[in-house]
Amino acid sequence: MSNDILVIAEHLDGRIADISFEMVGKARELAAALGGQVIVLALGSGLQAQAGGFASHTTLYLDDPLLAHYNPQAYQQVIAALAAAHSPRLIMLGYTSIGMDVAAWLSVKTGRPCIAYVNDIAVEQDAIVTRSQLYGGKMSAESATRADSLIVTLMAGAFAADAGRGATPIQPIAAPVPLAGLRTRFTGLLKPEAGDVDITTQEKLVAVGRGVGGEDGVALATELAEALGAVVAASRPVTDAGWLPKTRQVGKSGLTVRPKLYLMLGISGAPEHLEGMKDAELIIAINSDENAPIFNVAHYGATQDLFEVAEALLEAL
Amino acid sequence: MLTTIEKLIFILLVAFFVGFLALRGFWGIYKIVRQGRPAPALKNIPQRMLAAVVQVGLQQTIFRSRPWLSVFHAFIFFGFSYYFLVNVTDLLEGFAPGFELVYGGRALAAAPTGLVNLFNLVADILSVLTLLGMIVFLVRRFISRDQRLRFNEGVLLNPRVQAGGVARDSLIVGGFILLHVGSRFLGQALRLAEHGAPDPFMPFASLTANLFGGLSPAALDAGIHTTWWLAIGLIVLFFPYFVVSKHIHLMVAPINLGLAKQNPRGQLDDASPPGSDIQPGAANLLDLAWPRLLDAYACIMCNRCNDVCPAHSLGSVLSPAAVEVNKRYLINQNFAALAGGSAPPLSLIEHVISPQAVWSCTTCYACVRVCPVGNEPMADIVDIRRSLLIQGDGLDSGVQTALESLSKNGNWFGQGKRARPKWSKALDIEIKDAGKEAVDYLWFVGDTASFDSRVTPLTQAFARILHHAGVDFGILGQAESNAGNDVRRMGEEGLFEQLMENNLKAFSASTFERIVTTDPHSLNTLRNEYRWNGNRRQVIHYSSLLLQLFESGRLQVTQPLSAYVATYHDPCYLGRYNGEYQAVRKLLQHLGVALHEMPRNCENSFCCGGGGHIWMGETPPGERPAENRIREAVTTLTAHAGEGKQENWLFVVSCPKDLIMFSDAVKTTANDGAIQVIDLIQLVEQATGLDKA
Amino acid sequence: MNIVVALKQIPSMADELPLNAQGSNLDFDEVDFVLNEFDEHALEQAVLVKEKSGGAVTALGVDLIEALDDVLYTALAKGADKAIKIVGDFEPGADSHTQAAWLAAVIRDLSPDLVLTGVQAANDLDGQIGPMLAAHLDLPYVGVVTGLEVAQGVAKVHKEFAGGVVADIEVDLPCVAGIQAAAKPPRYAPISKIRQIAKTAQIAEAEAAAAGPDAGVTLRRMAKPVATGRADMLAGDAKQVAAKIIDILTERGLL
Repeated sequence: MSNDILVIAEHLDGRIADISFEMVGKARELAAALGGQVIVLALGSGLQAQAGGFASHTTLYLDDPLLAHYNPQAYQQVIAALAAAHSPRLIMLGYTSIGMDVAAWLSVKTGRPCIAYVNDIAVEQDAIVTRSQLYGGKMSAESATRADSLIVTLMAGAFAADAGRGATPIQPIAAPVPLAGLRTRFTGLLKPEAGDVDITTQEKLVAVGRGVGGEDGVALATELAEALGAVVAASRPVTDAGWLPKTRQVGKSGLTVRPKLYLMLGISGAPEHLEGMKDAELIIAINSDENAPIFNVAHYGATQDLFEVAEALLEAL
Repeated sequence: MLTTIEKLIFILLVAFFVGFLALRGFWGIYKIVRQGRPAPALKNIPQRMLAAVVQVGLQQTIFRSRPWLSVFHAFIFFGFSYYFLVNVTDLLEGFAPGFELVYGGRALAAAPTGLVNLFNLVADILSVLTLLGMIVFLVRRFISRDQRLRFNEGVLLNPRVQAGGVARDSLIVGGFILLHVGSRFLGQALRLAEHGAPDPFMPFASLTANLFGGLSPAALDAGIHTTWWLAIGLIVLFFPYFVVSKHIHLMVAPINLGLAKQNPRGQLDDASPPGSDIQPGAANLLDLAWPRLLDAYACIMCNRCNDVCPAHSLGSVLSPAAVEVNKRYLINQNFAALAGGSAPPLSLIEHVISPQAVWSCTTCYACVRVCPVGNEPMADIVDIRRSLLIQGDGLDSGVQTALESLSKNGNWFGQGKRARPKWSKALDIEIKDAGKEAVDYLWFVGDTASFDSRVTPLTQAFARILHHAGVDFGILGQAESNAGNDVRRMGEEGLFEQLMENNLKAFSASTFERIVTTDPHSLNTLRNEYRWNGNRRQVIHYSSLLLQLFESGRLQVTQPLSAYVATYHDPCYLGRYNGEYQAVRKLLQHLGVALHEMPRNCENSFCCGGGGHIWMGETPPGERPAENRIREAVTTLTAHAGEGKQENWLFVVSCPKDLIMFSDAVKTTANDGAIQVIDLIQLVEQATGLDKA
Repeated sequence: MNIVVALKQIPSMADELPLNAQGSNLDFDEVDFVLNEFDEHALEQAVLVKEKSGGAVTALGVDLIEALDDVLYTALAKGADKAIKIVGDFEPGADSHTQAAWLAAVIRDLSPDLVLTGVQAANDLDGQIGPMLAAHLDLPYVGVVTGLEVAQGVAKVHKEFAGGVVADIEVDLPCVAGIQAAAKPPRYAPISKIRQIAKTAQIAEAEAAAAGPDAGVTLRRMAKPVATGRADMLAGDAKQVAAKIIDILTERGLL
């Protein structure tokens, strides 16, 4: 077993995702402490230039038309083969739509422990210690593993991406397993319809969570948004319930926004949501639960009934 | 008077129209109503029937609303009732040769003159009053076009109703009454003209007789025959029409009142007959309990229920009247098949009430309370909800979220069971856990008072008041669940059962003498619906307990609240459902608060729009009931106190949901600062000086 | 179509989460357990597939705290055809690896065409159960699925990525899918129906396989997250809060 760190890069729609650089940046730090190297593995098609942009020691790049888009089984099998070949001390994946398919599978297949929801990771006296946010961000769990090889999935946005950017030339590799005849096949990519508005380009957003209770609450928020010159956005439960279209969803499975104002009504601040909005310039959160994790992220907060505040705001505007 | 041929024709007509057609129709109605599901068993039916006859005789139920129209209804009612007698004498006039009652019955040898004169006088006056009443009703419907007889846009109506069926029926009935009573009246006038002298005991007929002075005896005789036929023959012809007409209410309404619900207002009937395997609730017409089918026959389609319905009166697609009207037209359309037992299932949400309307009901009971004939359209609605819930289709997402939280957490606030007594942790006094030590009063707190941050300060204040007064009380803490009142009224019978069982279990694990609750909704179901199994406890509202504490001197008014100008809103579940109006009013008097009643008070109070309805994710646009009510309060107080002294205007409530609904409404009606919504607890705190302690 | 839905109960987050005396984990005696909300979506998706393409749905879970019956009765009321609980002497905090091993042992014998489970649970410290089941059963896995249809031996799934991008992926049956959201919000199961089912339905029991493999992860400490920052809390009633918000917005030229 080496002290190397294998980082699985990921890309979406032809662009390497920030999470990849975030992982590499952190991996550099850990590798230094462990006395190992950072090996990036990128699977793609025509991504040579972008794949050369990591601050890694080695960047393995597998090019195949079949890998132009994510394919679950291809990733699982290629990663398993390379993990076997390189015996890394640590395998890093994003806690993303890709990492969530692969990490736990790999853990069972290879007998390596796995730790998910990781938002901090460090080396303590040769042991790798992680911090995970569990229970929707309400708890932070510190874990260690006695095994000599570990798989972690890191929360997007937990680390700086810039530290992972560099210029390591790619090292093309051949497919370690046959990529034909897989049982999972990519057949198409659907980008969100532009919808009525594009929330990613808005300067001001009023975001509503489960706490709005229903269509009436959304209507009130919409009225408030109009008065503020803003647009209504939402967390996942609201779009799942059909109270707002999917195009308004902010967060892990929605859109990432960086508005000047993000006014949150009844959103507790689960990590999945924070991922999509934490870079907003001004975050104001109204939530009746004083312990809501959002108050650790927002710039201003108030433990108030969201309807009361929304109505008071409307009146004052 | 009648010729033999006429007599023969009359007897044949009676045999066919009454003896065959009408009886067959009435038998059909009986068979249809009997096909409804069983309802709770009725006791003392003869006494109840007698009571109903008295109620109807005194027109008690009809004077609950629309007083002026009720006067005219009373004219027609008394006229028609008297006409049973009159028609008998008319028959005798027709069939018994020489029988005539004019001039005190002088044509008859042994007639008691005084009695006959009285009979004639009453008949004469009532004939005119009946005609007057009927004309007023027809004018109101067809000329001045009273809007209250119309339905809101979007209310589901039977196509025949949509096409003016009710108006047509009214015209036929009105025409019949005018012809019947008018002809009888004219017939008597013609008799007086025939004799050529007025009868002082028939003043109106005598006046009218003057018109016929110039007619020949033959013409007068022809007129007497014609009017007899128009008065008496017409009834016979009209009899079968009763079966399809709304006018049958004159027979069914007293029966319906006699067979009306005997259990408390606050107790819903079971979702399916006890011990049966029938699907709960009503999907099709014949899934309704038999009294609901009878309701359709008792309904005269007056729409008084629409007037008081918080949904319909503010423009909603819900009309309690339409429920009855549609049922009646649906039965009429399928009469033969229904009576013969061969009708296909007739879907209620397709033919009787739209799902949107079903979910618009706040179950405030106003429609049932106001109905002069004892109909319960709210019971239909709850039964339809029960069925919709079982089918699981089209459930409002807000309601679904609330129900899911209630089944998981025992509250609709989405908070865990353990968070229920959280409000008590911030208190400087220790509140007993009734599950651990014996208490006199078990305080059933309810969801809103436990979880809503706008209400919990009052909850804490009430605890301090009880503590101050030395009341031995405790709570169930996290063992308390939502009482289930509103859950049951949203149609989720199974969840109600579950919540009730949870609470009953918690009760039996605790030691207490009686229950006090700050929530009228909980009070209603605890008092009227819980299966105590011989372990029944008294359940009182906190207003009663507070009044008691003042009356016994355990609480003292140290700061009389005489500066306030107040009005009070009776909560549906304390007032209309449980008849408690006085404790709060006496308490306010004790505290020195000047109370000015709104026009709609006590039994006639107007729902805040809350209850289970508070869970709806989507409510229709337009004025909300609570907003309408706040405007009513402001108008009332303005009338008493004039403009400009509003800083001390109070809207007093005695229900935590009211506090929320009306506080919101004060803001949305821009009455912020003009009137303050305040709970009794806050007033007691101020008056006893505890707010400063 | 033989569909299996794997269900997991987790501590309810509606309550405040209490920690044990050592601060090493939750105090499981003081929490209520509820069904993982993603599993509710998995169940709904399973019933939707059954309703469209036929078949039978088996709901399956580990009876961690002897409170799974209600979950399974609810699943039956919502349209599952069969319910199985895995019984044994369990730790309430049994990790995903252990639960996945127990579940996989039972699922294997059911020879499913389709295995659905929630894409994640809020306490999946050692990873998600779905991909672990796939690994144990040697089946392909796709997670973060927001819609799934079955036709001619193939599952066509919508898989979500960041930014609302959705990939269409075909997976040969049998397979395992981790459901993020069912194509429709989960239906409501009336309690009377659940109670009716509770009276008549049989829940099959399966013994947990011998001590599952250890996840190899040691939870050293659990605590409320240390606030990296803390919002400036605006005090006062709703009106005052609103006024302060307007001041802040005005100051920043956002109004």
